[in-house]
Amino acid sequence: MKRLTLILLALFLVKSPAFASVDWESKGMQIAGEIIANPAGFFYDFQQDLEGTTPLPPGKSFGFQMGLFPTLIPVTYTNISGKYRLHAEGRIAPGVPQLDLIGGYWDMLAAKMATKDSKSIDSAKFGGYYMGAIMSTSVSPRVRTFWGYKHSQLDAKLKFKAGEQPTLLGTTVNSFDTGFKDDFFIAGIETPRSIGKLWSIQLNYGLKTQTFSSKVSWYGKYFELGLNIYPEGVLVVHPVWNFHLNF
Amino acid sequence: MKKIILGALITAGMAGRLCAAVAEDSKIFTPFFDMTLSEAAFLPSEGNIFSGGNMNTQVGLLTKVTQKDHIFGLYNFNYTGQGFTPQDSKQFTDRSMSHGFNIEYRRSITDRIRVRPGVALTREYRRTGANEVWKNGLYNMNSSGAQLAADYTFSEEKNGYVTVQYLFRNVKFPNYTDLLSEFQNAGNTAETSGGLQDQSMTQFSLRPSWNQFFAGLTLTAQNYKNQKVVANTGVYGASKQKDSDTALDFGFHHTLWIFELSPMVSYTMHTSNQNFMLYKFLGDTSPQFGEKYYDFKELALSVPLDLNVTSKWAVGGALNMTRRAYDKRTARDANNNFTSSKQVNTMTTLTGSIRKRINEVAMVRLFASIMVANSNNKFEKYLPYSYTGKSFGLAYQLSY
Repeated sequence: MKRLTLILLALFLVKSPAFASVDWESKGMQIAGEIIANPAGFFYDFQQDLEGTTPLPPGKSFGFQMGLFPTLIPVTYTNISGKYRLHAEGRIAPGVPQLDLIGGYWDMLAAKMATKDSKSIDSAKFGGYYMGAIMSTSVSPRVRTFWGYKHSQLDAKLKFKAGEQPTLLGTTVNSFDTGFKDDFFIAGIETPRSIGKLWSIQLNYGLKTQTFSSKVSWYGKYFELGLNIYPEGVLVVHPVWNFHLNF
Repeated sequence: MKKIILGALITAGMAGRLCAAVAEDSKIFTPFFDMTLSEAAFLPSEGNIFSGGNMNTQVGLLTKVTQKDHIFGLYNFNYTGQGFTPQDSKQFTDRSMSHGFNIEYRRSITDRIRVRPGVALTREYRRTGANEVWKNGLYNMNSSGAQLAADYTFSEEKNGYVTVQYLFRNVKFPNYTDLLSEFQNAGNTAETSGGLQDQSMTQFSLRPSWNQFFAGLTLTAQNYKNQKVVANTGVYGASKQKDSDTALDFGFHHTLWIFELSPMVSYTMHTSNQNFMLYKFLGDTSPQFGEKYYDFKELALSVPLDLNVTSKWAVGGALNMTRRAYDKRTARDANNNFTSSKQVNTMTTLTGSIRKRINEVAMVRLFASIMVANSNNKFEKYLPYSYTGKSFGLAYQLSY
């Protein structure tokens, strides 16, 4: 059945006459314009792909995570995230939720390479971090809800060498310094998909910038697959692949 | 305006859906979680491909104070993205986002009767294709108010009950201003054209439900605080705008063998004392007058059908149709002149889908749709009235 579904879907997508009338060039220009209008927002969506915002599995004390796609490959975000359980569910008293600390850091490798190899770029820094806490509670043997807070920050700085500055619409650009930071509210639910495999869906909402996203994830012992949806982003759907280890 | 009525109808609908959130006997706190998410690509017959989605998250907590006294708190996040919409509602690129807070006290009077007084607060943000900052949306809306509902259970065996609800909302549009009036009075520095959409809204609903059949009668009245009714002279008169809706709906959700059917039909009668002046261009000295321009009757039909091929997989389809016929508004020709025939808009969508149940609380659906919008209004300089479109996308639902 799965194979049949995929074949039917592929046939629909490839053969659909709908695509014959799409103006891809115009669409590409629109996307490029949106990136130029808000570069920090565009790069921040990738940061959200690597952020580990689900609770640790029951019985685990700490964990590590690394975003593989689309973060490490192709946008060269070298990254590491961690989770630490402060309190296991019901340990202090029955009904007291599990509480995890979360956090992570990333640095864009391509920005460092550009500084090293480029004749015009003097220095470049693209990086960010996040930290927060997730509270989770079982509402039935097969369902956990989780709530959380995270503070996320992204810095994007670029400085051009003297005499090598580019011009944009007649103005010489010496450098740019932009970024993104916000405090997010997180709410989600987690349920088993099969033995040792979990499925979750969550909402992340930025209180100041009103940036929001929805993450749908499937994860097992080592890997997490996901579809992150940024309805107001440039690239609305991000397929995500992360590696994690929990102990 | 339709958005407000929709919001109120959702509140009325939620009365039925959320009163299903019952406390488990062994627990003081029972959570409620419902999240639906869809994302789709849209390809209209005119214009380029675009993507849009809908996201609705409800998180609540039911607290059992005593066996007869419960308190239910609910937060609702709703996002409506770009998409095809019925004519005369909004542009494809308009989006909205809302935060709703609702606190309800539930008191069981007898085994069969329960009353539910509550308060509600909503903040809604709207933005257009110009991507203005959310807080600057012209149609941003703040609403606050209270409601009183009562449930009478007449059949425990077949889950039969009747809900009666009365609600009141004070609605404000803090950013709204009449741009044309401000332009015409450019020398006036005082704020003269704000608050025109501010209104009070009351709604009464009666909703019986039995054996997964449901129906409803909803009466809504909107009284504008500042907006006056325009006369055929083109000058605003002394009377203020008043709108009302009477809506009837019926549906059921039943499974017969492998067929899972959940059709719904609704019929809405909208009346307004507001008229309309049609200026074809700025400075038009002989505008055309449209009396009772906003009165209409609308029929909406939705017939979703799923064939449960296995316990996990289902193939399905849905037919959705909306037909709006205006009582007095006449259609316009391509040159923006009123014709003699009354305006009628229809929008029909046919959807095919594959659904997978991930477990008892979660499901995912792949879907593809074709839609046809028709209208005898041929003036389409600003909004399309007759077009076709295709869409395909993905939807998730997880509810507990």
